[in-house]
Amino acid sequence: MPKPRIAKETFEALAVRAGLPLTPAQKTELYEAYSYVEAMAERVRAGGKRAPLVEPATIFKARG
Amino acid sequence: MTEIQTIAEAGRLIAARKLSPVELAKACLARIERLNGTLNAFIRVTAERALAEAKVAEAALMAGKSKGALHGIPIAHKDIYCTKGLATTAHSKLLADHVPGEDAATVVKLADAGTVMLGKLATHEFAWGGPSFDLPWPPARNPWNPKHFTGGSSSGTGAAVAAGLVLGGTGSDTGGSIRGPAAYCGVAGIKPTYGLCSRRGILPLAYSLDHAGPLAWTVEDCAILLQAMAGHDPQDPASADVPIPDYRAALETPIAGLRIGFVRHFHERDNPSNAAVKKSLEAAADTFHRLGADVRDATLPPLEDWHACGMLIMMTEAYTLHEPWLKSRPQDYGEFMRDRLSLAAFLTAADYIQAQRMRRELCARFAEAMRAFDLLLCAATPFEAPLIEAVTKMSSFERPSLTFPFNVTGAPALALRCGFTDADLPLGMQLAGRPFEDALVLRAGHAYEIATTWSKRRPAIVS
Repeated sequence: MPKPRIAKETFEALAVRAGLPLTPAQKTELYEAYSYVEAMAERVRAGGKRAPLVEPATIFKARG
Repeated sequence: MTEIQTIAEAGRLIAARKLSPVELAKACLARIERLNGTLNAFIRVTAERALAEAKVAEAALMAGKSKGALHGIPIAHKDIYCTKGLATTAHSKLLADHVPGEDAATVVKLADAGTVMLGKLATHEFAWGGPSFDLPWPPARNPWNPKHFTGGSSSGTGAAVAAGLVLGGTGSDTGGSIRGPAAYCGVAGIKPTYGLCSRRGILPLAYSLDHAGPLAWTVEDCAILLQAMAGHDPQDPASADVPIPDYRAALETPIAGLRIGFVRHFHERDNPSNAAVKKSLEAAADTFHRLGADVRDATLPPLEDWHACGMLIMMTEAYTLHEPWLKSRPQDYGEFMRDRLSLAAFLTAADYIQAQRMRRELCARFAEAMRAFDLLLCAATPFEAPLIEAVTKMSSFERPSLTFPFNVTGAPALALRCGFTDADLPLGMQLAGRPFEDALVLRAGHAYEIATTWSKRRPAIVS
């Protein structure tokens, strides 16, 4: 498992903001696993190269 | 009666009055009695109700009032399918006392088709948290070797069908939860096109990715079950108002001339499989070639893209549902579900929207690729079922899922057995098609199944 790029202190601040009652053991484990979230979040941003006109997947069709 | 019939075989025998629905239900209940203590496939068996339903079915059939191929067929439901008056728990302490006032739409449809319901089947907690040993019920075990994982989250359905405890059952699939258990347990399971089967009354995991569908021993049996489950439901906002073809009749058309894209890079580069899986997939491609299909390599965006997109959407939508309980009753979740969900608390609205934008792009890339092909062939899992204790809390983040692409696109995808390891564990492949071409997917799977002998082999524990 790669190491998270976020600092442990910053991660703990995010945990406080989320309002979840995490135990110290959970904080340690989730911090280590956070690297997976970082990697996925980076990938869906496509390096900032996505055109502004690419909309979210939700579409609405009028009935014919 | 010791032989386990398929739904198609049993239906024919019942129609010919050579098999009694009551005796069929009793045979399944006897197998449940003998094997469920090892397999944990059922978390609730409704024997009295099942026998009563079987007697009603038998009386109707004797009176010449057949409801079709499913009349008198024993099935069971994943325990996220709401059943009126019968606890529906999602395998969680949080819903241990939850007794719905209504049946799920698909439960009604299958009952109307004459099925006999034997009970409720194990799932990963809320269709994501498993295999867990800290829940009110133990995790299901693989009938091919109970030390091994069933796959999830439709774990009980995969195990129950493989062991002949039922002839078919329901599952749900948000990132592979029908196809994973189908592959690991050596059965057939289809994730139909998004919106084809109503989700009403099925406890949700992630609204925009959840699919309802069947698992059964054969592809033909899946077609029979899908026939009953599919159809527009105006009370499900994602339900598609489309004509429903005759899935079983469509199986009879040969597959010669079909263009099948073999997505080798999924299992060769993106999520490298073991040698047994590679060999079985190459053999499957050869089989399709011999059947007259035009099999060529296909290229899709890398699995990591599909996985990141699907996983972020799933995590965020699931967190939206569970946030109140995660804050007020975290101790009532199993550790796997609680901690996987908790990771989603660190995602932002921008992460979710970016994932949805990427989803639009990936769907366009999929549609573009499908101009050259009628179907895709790819791996369902990178290896055979691992030991159940070897599955870790964060295992679903460690390798990109082979099944997520078809949740992201909503396209129909079937998993079925395509070989066995030397240790007699099944290997699985996927066949996927364009949205609402479920019949074509089933047709190819059926053609493969009758051209091979894998479906003749049952787990040793059954005999």
